[in-house]
Amino acid sequence: MRFTAGKLLHGLLLILGVTFLSFLLMVWFGPDQTYSLIGKNASAEEIASVRHQLGYDQPFFARYFEYLRELVTLDLGASNASGEAVRSLLARTLPVSLALMIPGFVLGNLLGIALGLAAAQHRGRWPDRLITGFSVSGMSLSFLVIIIALQALLCTPYGLDLFPVRGWRVDSFASYLQYATVPSLSLILVTLGYNTRFYRAVFIEEYGRDHIRTARAFGASTTEILWKHVLRNSLVPVITRFMFSIPLVVISGSLLIESYFGIPGIGLATFEAITSGDQPVLKAVVGLTAVAFVLLQAVTDTLYRLVDPRVT
Amino acid sequence: MMAMARTFSRLRKDRSGLAGLSIVALFFLAAIAVWAGWLGQDWSAADGARWEGPGAAHWFGTNVLGQDIFERAVYSVRTAFEIGLVVALLSTVLGAVLGAVAGWRGDTWVDGAITWLKGVLDAIPFYLFVAAVAFALRGAPWAMHLAMVATFWTTTARLVRAEVLKIRSLDYVRSARAIGLPGVVILARHVLPNTTHILLVQGTIAFVAAIKTEVVLSFLGLGVQDGVSWGLMLAESTQEVLAGHFGNFIAASGMLFLLLLGLNLLADAMQDALDPKQAAL
Repeated sequence: MRFTAGKLLHGLLLILGVTFLSFLLMVWFGPDQTYSLIGKNASAEEIASVRHQLGYDQPFFARYFEYLRELVTLDLGASNASGEAVRSLLARTLPVSLALMIPGFVLGNLLGIALGLAAAQHRGRWPDRLITGFSVSGMSLSFLVIIIALQALLCTPYGLDLFPVRGWRVDSFASYLQYATVPSLSLILVTLGYNTRFYRAVFIEEYGRDHIRTARAFGASTTEILWKHVLRNSLVPVITRFMFSIPLVVISGSLLIESYFGIPGIGLATFEAITSGDQPVLKAVVGLTAVAFVLLQAVTDTLYRLVDPRVT
Repeated sequence: MMAMARTFSRLRKDRSGLAGLSIVALFFLAAIAVWAGWLGQDWSAADGARWEGPGAAHWFGTNVLGQDIFERAVYSVRTAFEIGLVVALLSTVLGAVLGAVAGWRGDTWVDGAITWLKGVLDAIPFYLFVAAVAFALRGAPWAMHLAMVATFWTTTARLVRAEVLKIRSLDYVRSARAIGLPGVVILARHVLPNTTHILLVQGTIAFVAAIKTEVVLSFLGLGVQDGVSWGLMLAESTQEVLAGHFGNFIAASGMLFLLLLGLNLLADAMQDALDPKQAAL
């Protein structure tokens, strides 16, 4: 019970920190919207009234607590730029981003596990060296380089010209495949090098343990060692890796992919909000990401307990 | 001394590590040459036609303004080293100091506060944070560097903290305390030098991350503001590739890939050569 209370406090402090930092950066030091909201030759009173409406005349902490209150009561308001309610903006963009990012994210991890396992099983021999070389090369490629190269190869007449260059006009599964394939491939390629390297190290560590040697000596088959001993015992680092890269890959990855391909997801909406200083949108995205991060930690802790009896 | 000699002999036998070191050294020489004014000085001169193909005068052709692409790519080596060195150095120092303090004062409120700060920075999606800092300080040429330093230190700090926690309870540290040395002296003279293997590797990894982040930020318009960088060249190439002009893309991505590959190979080799766990073998 004390353990749970401690976790709760920890989570609350984390959310407070994230909201404070994001408020400081994105609102206090963020762009001033006064002049984009009023016309030319505004009088001093008009300027003052717009600044009052935006809350710019309030002191720092009054504005921060207002920010927190709106977040806690889920009073997300409407985008300053388009007037669209933030709720409807989230409902419109989030599913697009998830549909765009999940397949690549999952495949990138599964392929990384497969390659890491293959390398660990042939440690030091040519398949290992080939996979390690491939993984280091992958780590040396910039995200942007991968996107441009894949686009040139798959979407232009200079390459195979199979997919649309950019955009997102999805109304069926076929059109989804049309628009999501190249972004998904980019995501897989950019994460695969790092994933393979990480999972290889995990599996090598497991294969090197004494109980594996003992199991071998007792005549356990390769399959049995793989499933019962190596994979089962690797679950904790694998789960950690997978869970904690979700917010980073989904938000950070979608920011670049969506602004590159012009896909109307949460990443593009967030980037536009940063550059235009659209406070209500930023508040919702950062606040909800922080909450999601803390929830994810809780889920991960529960998963640990499910897969590893040593964790209490 | 023994340990250092052993490290060097191991590094010498590591062929891919040597390849990495040679690549990085070559790029570093190029950066010095640019810095000294021997190479790449005509990067902004528009002395060609728009989008000339590759040829004897312009090895990788010219860009939309008729500037020589190869010259620009070479000058960008300097930009990459300026960003990489500054970010790697500052983030590693910050990570070492905060990690050492957290480890030394393990399980006190100081440790708790530093761990909390790390958690907060890790909970904000990276590009979002960097973009917000770069935007909040727009116009300032070091906005991008600051944003990267502010987030890159966390991994180094976590590793250093764990190492310092371990070292703290070793006999020689206890003896140093027993004879009354102040904590700062013990940390600086007897504890931190034993985390060098972490700092060198993490510094190299931060170098890689900084160059990669510059590319993405420059594409988003939040990176290098004046001058030229591989990121700006790649941002330029996003439209050109669709029209069949590949000069910018090939020159910038090729050099970028080579330098990053060299740094990654070097980081791997250092990891293997410096790891005290393997020293016993």
